[in-house]
Amino acid sequence: MEAIKLGSTTVGITTPHGTILAVEKRVQSTLLETSSIEKIMEIDSHIGCAMSGLTADARTMVEHARMTGQMHAFTYDEPIKVESVAQAVCDLALRFGESVDDDEAMMSRPFGVALLIAGVDEFGPSLFHTDPSGTFTRYDAKAIGSGSDAAQTSLQDAYNKNMTLDEAHRLALKILKEVMEEKVDENNIQLAQVVRAEGSKEAKFEILSGEATKQLIAAM
Amino acid sequence: MSVKDPITGGSGIGFDFSNHARNQHLGARMGGLPKATSTGTTIVGVKFGGGDSGVEEGVCLGADTRATGGPIVADKNCEKIHYIADHIRCCGAGTAADTEFVTNLISSNIELHALSTGRKPQVVTAMTMLKQYLFQYQGHVGAYLVIGGVDNTGSHLFTVAAHGSTDKLPYVTMGSGSMAAMAVFESSFKEHMTRQEAIDLVARAIRSGVFNDLGSGSNVDVCIIKKDKTEMLRNYEMPNERGEKTRQYKFRRGTTAWTKEDVRSLVVSETTTPVAAPLAAEAMDIS
Amino acid sequence: MPEAIQHRFDPYSSNGGSILAIAGKDFAVVAGDTRQSEGYSIQSRYQKKVFPLTSKAILAVNGFAADGNNFVKRVKQRLEWYTHAHNKEMPIKSIARLIQTMLYARRMFPYYVYNVLAGIEEDDGTGAVYSFDPVGSYERETCRAAGAAQSLLQPFLDNQIYFRNHTPAPGQPPFDPSTHPLSTVLSILVDSFSSATERHIEVGDFLEGYVILSPGRTSDDLIGEGVKGVLPEGMTVEEQDPEDLDVQSAVAGKGCRVFLVRKELKRD
Repeated sequence: MEAIKLGSTTVGITTPHGTILAVEKRVQSTLLETSSIEKIMEIDSHIGCAMSGLTADARTMVEHARMTGQMHAFTYDEPIKVESVAQAVCDLALRFGESVDDDEAMMSRPFGVALLIAGVDEFGPSLFHTDPSGTFTRYDAKAIGSGSDAAQTSLQDAYNKNMTLDEAHRLALKILKEVMEEKVDENNIQLAQVVRAEGSKEAKFEILSGEATKQLIAAM
Repeated sequence: MSVKDPITGGSGIGFDFSNHARNQHLGARMGGLPKATSTGTTIVGVKFGGGDSGVEEGVCLGADTRATGGPIVADKNCEKIHYIADHIRCCGAGTAADTEFVTNLISSNIELHALSTGRKPQVVTAMTMLKQYLFQYQGHVGAYLVIGGVDNTGSHLFTVAAHGSTDKLPYVTMGSGSMAAMAVFESSFKEHMTRQEAIDLVARAIRSGVFNDLGSGSNVDVCIIKKDKTEMLRNYEMPNERGEKTRQYKFRRGTTAWTKEDVRSLVVSETTTPVAAPLAAEAMDIS
Repeated sequence: MPEAIQHRFDPYSSNGGSILAIAGKDFAVVAGDTRQSEGYSIQSRYQKKVFPLTSKAILAVNGFAADGNNFVKRVKQRLEWYTHAHNKEMPIKSIARLIQTMLYARRMFPYYVYNVLAGIEEDDGTGAVYSFDPVGSYERETCRAAGAAQSLLQPFLDNQIYFRNHTPAPGQPPFDPSTHPLSTVLSILVDSFSSATERHIEVGDFLEGYVILSPGRTSDDLIGEGVKGVLPEGMTVEEQDPEDLDVQSAVAGKGCRVFLVRKELKRD
């Protein structure tokens, strides 16, 4: 839990048109290649996630989530629900400690990372928060990480259920700007969205390009 | 002098095996030889009357009318009670071709026997001819028979199995429905029944086969043989009449597509002109 | 040279009978006879081979009865797990895929079973029929017959449902298999089975099946006055209360109506 409080700030917002994610990348050094910091990952073509805390742990969880998503599509010929992915991730989070029967190697410690899982499924856009305790909760908008207290208050004030996708991106950027020490640019933040394109049945996850991010920052 | 074989019509005696090797070869290449139609069947017979019952003794035979080829019904109303002589009849189960042929053959030989002896043939004679013929072919002629009749020595009822073994009993059943039919006989047979009691029992035994044995079905044929009278009650019961279909399956004229239309006249008309008038004597050459 | 006699464990047998399903624009019909046999013997004159799975999907199973019953049991168990895990009823498309994976899992020791799944598609409300082979190859179709009398029934369906070998009258549009009204489909079902009963020894006793109507369907319904024109003579119909159906319905189906239909067949 402590690891998350120290983690970088991460924001997720749902709108009727899709769900967005925004993360702060902590650039420790000017020599750091910022594109190598990966804090938003794709789970399935219609689900993505952002992380805060020990990001290395998140890789294991995302791997498990991806596997679950693929298995679901393979077995049931349908995209997995966002909630089911959150559940799968939380099931994994509890597999630490001593194993009862000695056949399965268990993890030595709990995960030190929280995730914001965003996606669009048959029931529409949704956002889930998972924490190291193995609990998952659904939110309209949620912030985690070191700046989460302030960020959540801002979300509380500014969020409304009928936001456009563009408004959501701008709100997320505004919040990151408030909690970040350095000036926001396309290198020290990352944006992503899951959107169902007009007239299309399938939702698509995408990480916004540097160019698109730059434009959004400029338009702020 | 060459002797025509009565069975093959060829010059040898018995079956013609000249195609055996070829057929085995073909069978191996085609995944099995063609399957013969089998009369998966219920056939039965009972003796009735006689003793000091005061009822004229006789034999009652019964058969279902389903013929099958594997699980498919080949004939829904075939005849399985075959004619041997006026006073001898024979129900056939097993390979349809064999039962038909073997009963025909013995019928013919019994007729010749009657002609040469000048006597009414006995039922045992027909039975003996059948078993000797079937034994000769070691079970390869797949005929399972119930033979019954009334002759000068009384009423008789036998079964003949394909290998040539025979039984002589007051009530008998054969075919795939034999258990179902025998169950009825074992529970309800009594000696010296009346004609109608015998018919009812036989019909019930056949019905038992018709409804409980998949190899048997459709209608019930019954035959009653008494000293001076043989009655063939064809389709004595019809408990499985065909219902009407709910739809009409008539096709519009022109339903079948064609690639080419070619109409030809098949009527050939010709006129003949006689060269000369026919001679009166020739034209009237009738004596 | 005499061949050595080999003794081999043969766990399979075939229990006869046939099943059939037809999909319409806004309904699906699935039925089977209720005779179970082995060789020339009838094991049962009334043994079900058609099972409701959800409020809008019904599975017909034919082949080796022991495998069939066990397979249905396992499918139902998987459906229950699914509703618990995902809090919704499994759509028919997903059931079809699930059945494929379950059958293929036994590729080397298959369930000796032919499955036909019928119901209403989740997204567009159309009638759907999915058919499977014993190891899981599957396909969505308009109609399918399977089992002992498949070779008798399928050509008849090809001709009557798919209009195979029918040429439209001059100036008429091509035939469309998806436009058959329910009354026609039920008639074809009844005639198919009465004919199969006449010519196949393993088919008979009773015809039992289900009609599933898509939500929002209004024309020639199987209730009230409509029945007269729709139901073939001798056929009985009972609407199924969703509560009584042994189905997984964590979330109530969007108003699919299910009817049980029965008719006597010949018993010989």
